Amino acid sequence: MAALDEPRSAAKSELEDAIVSLQALQRIPRAVLRETRQALEEAKRFNREVIRPRALELDMKMQEDPDYLPWDFVQEANRRGFYTMFIPRLFGGRGYNIPALSCVLEEMASACTAMANLVGVHYLGIDTLAASWNMRLMNKIMRDVAEGERVGQPRIVSLAITEPEAGTDVEEVELLSKAKVTCRVERVKGGRVINGRKIFISNGHLSTWHMLVGYEDLQRPEETTVMLAVKTGTKGFSFGRMEKKMGQRACPASELIFEDCFVPEENVCFDYGYMDRMVRWLGRPRRSVPEYTSQVIHYVLSTSRAGVAGFATGVARGAYEEALRFAVETEVGGKRLIDQEWARCLLAEMYKNVALARLSYVETNYANSLYGMFKVLQWKPMFYILKLTPRKMMDSVVAPFLNLGAVTWLFRKICLDGQKDEEMQRTSGWASLSKFAASDFGLRNCQLALDLMGRAGVLFDQGAEKHLRDCKLLQIYEGTNQLNRLNLFNCLIGRSLPGVRAFEE
Amino acid sequence: MTSQRSEEWKLLERMSCEFALRELRTGREERDAHPFAPLDLDLLRKGEELGFFSLLQEDGEEAPANLRALNLILENLSMEDAAFAGAVFTHSLSQMVILQAGRADVLDKLKAKAAEGGTAEGRLPLVAFPSFDAPGETARGLRAEKQDGNYLLTGKADFVVLGSMAAWALLPARTMGVEGFSFFLCPLGGEGVEAGPAVLSLGLRSCPGVDLVMKGAVSSLVGEPGEGARYYGSAADLLAVSAAAMSLGVMKGSLREALQYARQRVQGGREIINWSEVRMILSQMSLHCRTGEMLLAAVMQEMAEGKPGWEVSSRAAALQVQDMACQVVSDGVQLLGGNGYMRDYGQEKRFRDAHQLKVLMGHHPLRKLEFLRLAEDIDSH
Ligand SMILES: Cc1cc2nc3c(=O)[nH]c(=O)nc-3n(C[C@H](O)[C@H](O)[C@H](O)COP(=O)(O)OP(=O)(O)OC[C@H]3O[C@@H](n4cnc5c(N)ncnc54)[C@H](O)[C@@H]3O)c2cc1C
Repeated sequence: MAALDEPRSAAKSELEDAIVSLQALQRIPRAVLRETRQALEEAKRFNREVIRPRALELDMKMQEDPDYLPWDFVQEANRRGFYTMFIPRLFGGRGYNIPALSCVLEEMASACTAMANLVGVHYLGIDTLAASWNMRLMNKIMRDVAEGERVGQPRIVSLAITEPEAGTDVEEVELLSKAKVTCRVERVKGGRVINGRKIFISNGHLSTWHMLVGYEDLQRPEETTVMLAVKTGTKGFSFGRMEKKMGQRACPASELIFEDCFVPEENVCFDYGYMDRMVRWLGRPRRSVPEYTSQVIHYVLSTSRAGVAGFATGVARGAYEEALRFAVETEVGGKRLIDQEWARCLLAEMYKNVALARLSYVETNYANSLYGMFKVLQWKPMFYILKLTPRKMMDSVVAPFLNLGAVTWLFRKICLDGQKDEEMQRTSGWASLSKFAASDFGLRNCQLALDLMGRAGVLFDQGAEKHLRDCKLLQIYEGTNQLNRLNLFNCLIGRSLPGVRAFEE
Repeated sequence: MTSQRSEEWKLLERMSCEFALRELRTGREERDAHPFAPLDLDLLRKGEELGFFSLLQEDGEEAPANLRALNLILENLSMEDAAFAGAVFTHSLSQMVILQAGRADVLDKLKAKAAEGGTAEGRLPLVAFPSFDAPGETARGLRAEKQDGNYLLTGKADFVVLGSMAAWALLPARTMGVEGFSFFLCPLGGEGVEAGPAVLSLGLRSCPGVDLVMKGAVSSLVGEPGEGARYYGSAADLLAVSAAAMSLGVMKGSLREALQYARQRVQGGREIINWSEVRMILSQMSLHCRTGEMLLAAVMQEMAEGKPGWEVSSRAAALQVQDMACQVVSDGVQLLGGNGYMRDYGQEKRFRDAHQLKVLMGHHPLRKLEFLRLAEDIDSH
């Protein structure tokens, strides 16, 4: 972390923060562009054929019957390969570049954020799994997802961190030390036993795998974090209530209940014991245990927040498109809206909001590609090896190696220990920036659409009010926008100010 | 104002507070599920018995004070459930248009008719109104034809608020050979009027609007032909501040719940109210509420004194407070984190209600543009 007494390195960091995309130009494989176009084409077709025709109908259905589960949608997304689209081919997936995920989510959310979430949240789970670099477990679960696609039985993944008394607190390691967490993971012979509750878990009821974050010592959660994969149907694990939400209704937010739930050791994704070993093995380790925990949290959030920014850009765009359609079709005060200058300026403002929201996630994804989770995958030689190796060879020759502990160790060494603090801060800072900027732009656009449309804007069948309801959530989950502002401060501003410590005031 | 009257208003105000806390807070979520749950007509009847719907019954000297009482009640009710207040407002707007047309007698007749059970079955003695539209726009879809001393209405009126439960509707329509539009009072629930299902909207769900298809519905003219815009204009001047009072109530409800929550919810080892960023947001909300209160008080004062230009102030208050409310309710949800987004708490409903209230009395940007014209008129006088 640069300090004021090191002005040159601080200035250098700041420069690097500012020119992420310029740096990326040279280093991103060219095929990324073509592939992103293909992914977008698929998403557009999905929008046309599935999402748009069903968005309002499904939202209405959920109002009528809040316990309805949209299995048919999940089946369809599974059939079309959206749950493996961004899983690397190494793990049996379709292997599209991960930055394209934000674009796909934008596209889907422009029609319905809830349905986009039914796809996107699965990758939040996948991200969490990947952030641990536990190659054996990644191989197991991601291949299970791919198998689910092959046999027509969706096996999607959720992420469960939030607890009734700890929401913001579990998103930041500095706060975690003070959190009132209750989800306890006990070490027993052959595995772990979990007791506790998680709430607000998106796609919970629909998921097969749940990436669960728990703690061995509830008094020292920051030192004893454990991440496990729990499969639906495991004894001692059940679903509780499904929340009744204002918007994004089609995507369930579930309560997960664990009562003496045994999880075998092979499903432990990451725990402080590993971090402890890392610290000891490395002699002069880069980080302490809580710092490694923090790094993993940042790793996950740096990618998932870019996804939320994708949703937000989509909803900003959806609202803009509704407003534009209305302005072209409607006379207000005796004149078509589109022929009134104030309305044109308002539409221009909305267009700007969409464009800036999009730029913010693009920049974040560049940061992730250069310094964060996608770095290995976007490294040109690796990118092309993964693309060009025949699938059969990948499955039969390469995949078995992934089960070796040494491979996990190697990847953790390269990806976790190899990431500098400054790089972590850059990706995390940008991710927070794009998350809160895009969701604020999104909400603003929804409000502007309602303004422009007048009474029509608040009517369900016109679609704009749904965007507003859906969008508000984007300012809350993946850390509230306040937390994200503070994270940006900590990562990109406070780091070079002497005596400034995160969450101390 | 007589001291007896002032006591009555105080009582009404207190009653509205208690009613809001006791009757509106409970069952709010269920009522809000309309049209997937039935309307709670009994609750409206209770409100009627308490006198919430008859404050504007008469014109004359007491009018400004009555309006002040109405605004306080609307504000109190809206803190808990703006949908209920929406019903009171809509009926009051109809009453006010009728009063501006110089037809206080019509209101008396409606009251008498209701008392003798002369309304369609299951309907409440209220007057529905398309209160989210400029009446000039609604009038484009409705035609009135004179026949045997009455008028027959044909055409369609969209989103007539209370149309599914009120005994009458006050509707703007055009008449052949008459410039502008006129207002007509039409009994609902009988022949010649088809009410569609409740139109699902963002907020105020238990105060729903319905589309009415008029097929020669027998109606009576209210006031002079072609004077609708003038009557509505005067009514809007008076009731714009009441619309503001509702938005203010929603804001204050949101602030109250956010404050309560922030004092109890602990994150990072302290009640979240002790994080200065949370305090800053609460302060901003509180500032907006106080500014809204001041605006309303100033307008009511100007009205009571008959200060020239009070009409513009009333409209300004509505535009401003409706706008501020959208910001406040969004922060109100935010401060409750994930819980704020859930229907178990009041914040998400306030978020939806405030955004819908912004359109009350018509398209917000157009009202803004019209405001400049009104302000210029006043200034030039
Ligand atoms: C529909 C939905 C889906 C979700 N999906 C998931 C999911 O799939 N998986 C999962 O694990 N979680 C999920 N969440 C949880 C989500 O991430 C949390 O709601 C969010 O992090 C906020 O936590 P909280 O709700 O406990 O709010 P709190 O943390 O209680 O925050 C309340 C308020 O206090 C403020 N605040 C708190 N601490 C501070 C501070 N230190 N400084 C300044 N302000 C502060 C917050 O900004 C907020 O305004 C979901 C939530 C919702 C609503």
